[in-house]
Amino acid sequence: MNLMLRNRPTELDPVEELDRLQRELSRWFDFGFDNMGLLDRALAPTVDLVETNEGYILTVDLPGVDKKDINLTVENNVITIEGEKKETRESKDKKRFFRKETWEGSFRRTISLPAAADPEKVHAELKNGILTVTIGKKEELKPRQIAVQVK
Amino acid sequence: MNEVMEKRQENKVRMVQPACAICEDNGQILVRVEMPGVDKDGIEVSVEKNELVIKGKPAAAPVEGTYLIRERQTGEYHKRFIIDETIDREKIQAVMNDGVLQLTLNIKEAAKPRKIEIK
Repeated sequence: MNLMLRNRPTELDPVEELDRLQRELSRWFDFGFDNMGLLDRALAPTVDLVETNEGYILTVDLPGVDKKDINLTVENNVITIEGEKKETRESKDKKRFFRKETWEGSFRRTISLPAAADPEKVHAELKNGILTVTIGKKEELKPRQIAVQVK
Repeated sequence: MNEVMEKRQENKVRMVQPACAICEDNGQILVRVEMPGVDKDGIEVSVEKNELVIKGKPAAAPVEGTYLIRERQTGEYHKRFIIDETIDREKIQAVMNDGVLQLTLNIKEAAKPRKIEIK
Protein backbone atom coordinates (compact mmCIF):
# COMPACT_ATOMS: atom_id res chain seq x y z
CA MET A 1 0.00 0.00 0.00
CA ASN A 2 1.73 3.05 -1.17
CA LEU A 3 -0.18 6.12 -0.16
CA MET A 4 2.45 8.71 0.27
CA LEU A 5 2.36 12.41 0.69
CA ARG A 6 4.31 14.54 -1.63
CA ASN A 7 4.99 18.20 -1.24
CA ARG A 8 5.86 20.00 -4.38
CA PRO A 9 8.54 22.57 -3.70
CA THR A 10 7.10 24.84 -6.39
CA GLU A 11 3.85 25.18 -4.53
CA LEU A 12 5.56 26.57 -1.47
CA ASP A 13 6.37 30.20 -1.56
CA PRO A 14 9.57 30.70 0.47
CA VAL A 15 8.94 34.37 1.13
CA GLU A 16 5.45 33.69 2.34
CA GLU A 17 6.75 30.86 4.47
CA LEU A 18 9.24 33.21 6.10
CA ASP A 19 6.45 35.69 6.73
CA ARG A 20 4.44 33.03 8.40
CA LEU A 21 7.41 31.91 10.49
CA GLN A 22 7.96 35.45 11.62
CA ARG A 23 4.30 35.79 12.55
CA GLU A 24 4.47 32.56 14.53
CA LEU A 25 7.63 33.68 16.31
CA SER A 26 6.30 37.09 17.18
CA ARG A 27 3.24 35.44 18.54
CA TRP A 28 5.44 33.54 20.95
CA PHE A 29 7.11 36.70 22.11
CA ASP A 30 3.81 38.51 22.46
CA PHE A 31 2.56 35.58 24.41
CA GLY A 32 0.47 37.13 27.10
CA PHE A 33 -2.52 36.43 29.20
CA ASP A 34 -4.81 38.83 27.42
CA ASN A 35 -5.17 36.76 24.29
CA MET A 36 -4.97 33.22 25.48
CA GLY A 37 -4.70 31.08 28.52
CA LEU A 38 -1.40 29.47 29.35
CA LEU A 39 -2.54 25.92 28.75
CA ASP A 40 -5.07 26.67 26.07
CA ARG A 41 -3.08 25.84 23.01
CA ALA A 42 -2.87 22.07 23.18
CA LEU A 43 -6.45 21.14 22.54
CA ALA A 44 -7.76 24.38 21.27
CA PRO A 45 -8.86 25.20 17.76
CA THR A 46 -7.10 27.97 15.90
CA VAL A 47 -8.86 31.31 15.90
CA ASP A 48 -8.74 34.68 14.21
CA LEU A 49 -10.02 37.82 15.87
CA VAL A 50 -10.56 40.74 13.58
CA GLU A 51 -11.61 44.24 14.49
CA THR A 52 -13.82 46.03 12.00
CA ASN A 53 -15.59 49.37 12.20
CA GLU A 54 -18.82 47.75 13.36
CA GLY A 55 -17.41 45.26 15.79
CA TYR A 56 -15.31 42.17 16.11
CA ILE A 57 -15.37 38.97 14.13
CA LEU A 58 -14.08 35.80 15.73
CA THR A 59 -13.40 32.94 13.35
CA VAL A 60 -12.80 29.45 14.72
CA ASP A 61 -11.78 26.40 12.69
CA LEU A 62 -14.00 23.53 13.72
CA PRO A 63 -14.11 21.07 10.84
CA GLY A 64 -16.30 18.05 11.40
CA VAL A 65 -17.87 19.40 14.57
CA ASP A 66 -21.63 19.33 14.91
CA LYS A 67 -23.57 22.45 15.89
CA LYS A 68 -25.07 20.78 18.93
CA ASP A 69 -21.61 19.85 20.24
CA ILE A 70 -20.48 23.45 20.51
CA ASN A 71 -21.06 25.57 23.56
CA LEU A 72 -20.51 29.30 23.43
CA THR A 73 -20.61 31.49 26.52
CA VAL A 74 -19.78 35.13 27.17
CA GLU A 75 -18.98 36.24 30.68
CA ASN A 76 -17.33 39.46 31.77
CA ASN A 77 -16.17 40.11 28.23
CA VAL A 78 -14.48 36.73 28.07
CA ILE A 79 -15.77 34.45 25.39
CA THR A 80 -15.49 30.70 25.88
CA ILE A 81 -15.90 28.18 23.12
CA GLU A 82 -15.99 24.61 24.22
CA GLY A 83 -17.29 21.38 22.90
CA GLU A 84 -16.41 18.05 21.57
CA LYS A 85 -15.15 16.85 18.27
CA LYS A 86 -16.59 13.41 18.00
CA GLU A 87 -14.47 10.47 16.99
CA THR A 88 -15.35 9.06 13.65
CA ARG A 89 -16.17 5.43 13.23
CA GLU A 90 -12.83 4.59 11.71
CA SER A 91 -10.71 6.57 14.16
CA LYS A 92 -11.64 4.30 17.04
CA ASP A 93 -9.40 1.58 15.72
CA LYS A 94 -6.09 3.38 16.09
CA LYS A 95 -3.85 0.65 14.72
CA ARG A 96 -5.06 0.95 11.18
CA PHE A 97 -3.86 4.48 10.59
CA PHE A 98 -1.27 5.23 7.97
CA ARG A 99 -1.24 8.89 8.80
CA LYS A 100 -3.03 11.02 11.30
CA GLU A 101 -2.78 14.77 11.55
CA THR A 102 -6.28 15.41 12.75
CA TRP A 103 -7.41 15.43 16.37
CA GLU A 104 -10.60 14.69 18.16
CA GLY A 105 -11.87 14.98 21.68
CA SER A 106 -13.04 17.85 23.76
CA PHE A 107 -11.72 21.33 23.15
CA ARG A 108 -11.89 24.61 24.95
CA ARG A 109 -10.77 28.08 24.12
CA THR A 110 -11.18 31.31 26.00
CA ILE A 111 -10.59 34.69 24.47
CA SER A 112 -10.67 38.04 26.20
CA LEU A 113 -12.59 40.55 24.19
CA PRO A 114 -11.50 44.16 23.97
CA ALA A 115 -13.28 46.60 26.28
CA ALA A 116 -15.30 48.06 23.42
CA ALA A 117 -17.01 44.74 22.69
CA ASP A 118 -20.65 44.55 23.64
CA PRO A 119 -21.48 41.17 25.24
CA GLU A 120 -25.16 41.79 24.47
CA LYS A 121 -24.56 41.79 20.74
CA VAL A 122 -23.11 38.36 20.01
CA HIS A 123 -24.19 36.32 17.05
CA ALA A 124 -22.73 32.96 16.05
CA GLU A 125 -22.97 30.88 12.91
CA LEU A 126 -21.46 27.52 11.97
CA LYS A 127 -20.89 26.93 8.30
CA ASN A 128 -18.60 24.52 6.44
CA GLY A 129 -16.66 23.75 9.60
CA ILE A 130 -16.01 27.37 10.50
CA LEU A 131 -17.63 29.05 13.47
CA THR A 132 -18.07 32.76 12.94
CA VAL A 133 -18.92 34.85 15.99
CA THR A 134 -19.89 38.44 15.34
CA ILE A 135 -19.59 40.75 18.32
CA GLY A 136 -20.90 44.28 18.22
CA LYS A 137 -19.22 47.34 19.67
CA LYS A 138 -20.61 49.45 22.46
CA GLU A 139 -22.20 52.52 20.95
CA GLU A 140 -20.42 54.97 23.22
CA LEU A 141 -17.02 53.48 22.39
CA LYS A 142 -17.40 53.51 18.63
CA PRO A 143 -15.11 55.91 16.88
CA ARG A 144 -17.10 58.98 16.07
CA GLN A 145 -16.45 61.90 13.91
CA ILE A 146 -16.86 65.18 15.69
CA ALA A 147 -17.33 68.18 13.56
CA VAL A 148 -15.15 71.05 14.61
CA GLN A 149 -16.52 74.41 13.94
CA VAL A 150 -14.10 77.11 13.15
CA LYS A 151 -15.21 80.47 14.21
CA MET B 1 15.83 36.39 -4.98
CA ASN B 2 14.32 38.57 -7.70
CA GLU B 3 12.85 35.50 -9.26
CA VAL B 4 11.26 34.55 -6.00
CA MET B 5 9.77 38.00 -5.60
CA GLU B 6 8.38 37.95 -9.09
CA LYS B 7 6.87 34.57 -8.56
CA ARG B 8 5.26 35.87 -5.45
CA GLN B 9 3.48 38.55 -7.42
CA GLU B 10 2.18 35.99 -9.85
CA ASN B 11 0.42 33.71 -7.47
CA LYS B 12 -0.74 35.68 -4.51
CA VAL B 13 -2.90 32.87 -3.21
CA ARG B 14 -1.30 30.92 -0.42
CA MET B 15 -1.37 27.16 -0.56
CA VAL B 16 -2.28 25.50 2.66
CA GLN B 17 -1.64 21.86 3.42
CA PRO B 18 -4.79 20.62 5.11
CA ALA B 19 -4.62 18.15 7.97
CA CYS B 20 -5.55 14.66 6.95
CA ALA B 21 -6.00 11.19 8.32
CA ILE B 22 -5.66 8.02 6.30
CA CYS B 23 -6.73 4.64 7.50
CA GLU B 24 -7.67 1.24 6.22
CA ASP B 25 -11.09 -0.16 6.85
CA ASN B 26 -12.39 -3.45 5.46
CA GLY B 27 -10.29 -3.38 2.34
CA GLN B 28 -11.02 0.29 1.71
CA ILE B 29 -8.77 3.24 2.23
CA LEU B 30 -10.48 6.15 3.95
CA VAL B 31 -8.94 9.57 3.57
CA ARG B 32 -10.25 12.42 5.71
CA VAL B 33 -9.09 15.87 4.79
CA GLU B 34 -10.01 18.79 7.01
CA MET B 35 -10.64 21.89 5.00
CA PRO B 36 -12.65 24.33 7.09
CA GLY B 37 -14.46 26.93 5.04
CA VAL B 38 -14.72 24.86 1.89
CA ASP B 39 -18.12 23.78 0.63
CA LYS B 40 -19.07 21.11 -1.88
CA ASP B 41 -18.65 23.41 -4.87
CA GLY B 42 -15.18 24.55 -3.93
CA ILE B 43 -13.67 21.10 -3.94
CA GLU B 44 -11.80 19.46 -6.76
CA VAL B 45 -10.54 15.89 -6.60
CA SER B 46 -8.69 14.40 -9.53
CA VAL B 47 -6.31 11.60 -10.39
CA GLU B 48 -3.28 12.60 -12.45
CA LYS B 49 -1.27 9.58 -13.48
CA ASN B 50 -0.25 8.13 -10.12
CA GLU B 51 -1.23 11.09 -8.02
CA LEU B 52 -4.41 11.91 -6.22
CA VAL B 53 -4.84 15.66 -6.22
CA ILE B 54 -7.14 17.42 -3.78
CA LYS B 55 -7.85 21.12 -4.13
CA GLY B 56 -10.19 23.19 -2.05
CA LYS B 57 -11.21 26.80 -2.33
CA PRO B 58 -12.83 28.49 0.69
CA ALA B 59 -16.35 29.72 0.01
CA ALA B 60 -15.87 33.04 1.79
CA ALA B 61 -13.09 35.59 1.43
CA PRO B 62 -10.95 36.35 4.50
CA VAL B 63 -12.33 39.01 6.82
CA GLU B 64 -11.06 42.52 6.21
CA GLY B 65 -9.96 44.51 9.23
CA THR B 66 -7.33 44.71 11.93
CA TYR B 67 -6.23 41.31 13.11
CA LEU B 68 -5.96 41.10 16.87
CA ILE B 69 -5.32 37.37 16.82
CA ARG B 70 -4.20 35.54 13.73
CA GLU B 71 -3.59 31.84 14.01
CA ARG B 72 -5.57 30.36 11.18
CA GLN B 73 -3.90 29.56 7.91
CA THR B 74 -5.92 31.01 5.13
CA GLY B 75 -5.60 30.32 1.45
CA GLU B 76 -6.42 27.53 -0.91
CA TYR B 77 -6.02 23.98 0.23
CA HIS B 78 -3.85 21.69 -1.80
CA LYS B 79 -2.73 18.16 -1.15
CA ARG B 80 -1.24 15.43 -3.28
CA PHE B 81 -0.89 11.77 -2.58
CA ILE B 82 0.89 9.15 -4.59
CA ILE B 83 -1.36 6.18 -5.15
CA ASP B 84 -0.20 2.93 -6.64
CA GLU B 85 -1.82 0.46 -9.01
CA THR B 86 -3.68 -1.38 -6.31
CA ILE B 87 -6.16 1.49 -5.97
CA ASP B 88 -9.18 1.27 -8.24
CA ARG B 89 -9.28 4.67 -9.88
CA GLU B 90 -12.80 4.21 -11.16
CA LYS B 91 -14.21 3.71 -7.72
CA ILE B 92 -13.22 6.79 -5.77
CA GLN B 93 -16.03 8.26 -3.73
CA ALA B 94 -15.98 11.70 -2.17
CA VAL B 95 -18.28 13.16 0.46
CA MET B 96 -17.99 16.71 1.80
CA ASN B 97 -19.49 17.51 5.15
CA ASP B 98 -18.87 20.32 7.68
CA GLY B 99 -15.57 21.23 6.08
CA VAL B 100 -14.31 17.65 6.06
CA LEU B 101 -13.74 15.77 2.83
CA GLN B 102 -14.04 12.04 3.12
CA LEU B 103 -12.62 10.00 0.29
CA THR B 104 -13.17 6.30 -0.06
CA LEU B 105 -10.63 4.50 -2.20
CA ASN B 106 -11.19 0.90 -3.11
CA ILE B 107 -8.42 -1.61 -3.45
CA LYS B 108 -8.63 -3.63 -6.63
CA GLU B 109 -9.91 -7.12 -6.16
CA ALA B 110 -6.77 -8.57 -7.71
CA ALA B 111 -4.57 -6.84 -5.13
CA LYS B 112 -6.46 -8.00 -2.08
CA PRO B 113 -4.89 -10.74 0.00
CA ARG B 114 -6.21 -14.07 -1.13
CA LYS B 115 -6.53 -17.18 0.83
CA ILE B 116 -5.59 -20.24 -1.14
CA GLU B 117 -7.24 -23.33 -0.04
CA ILE B 118 -5.19 -26.45 0.22
CA LYS B 119 -6.92 -29.43 -1.25
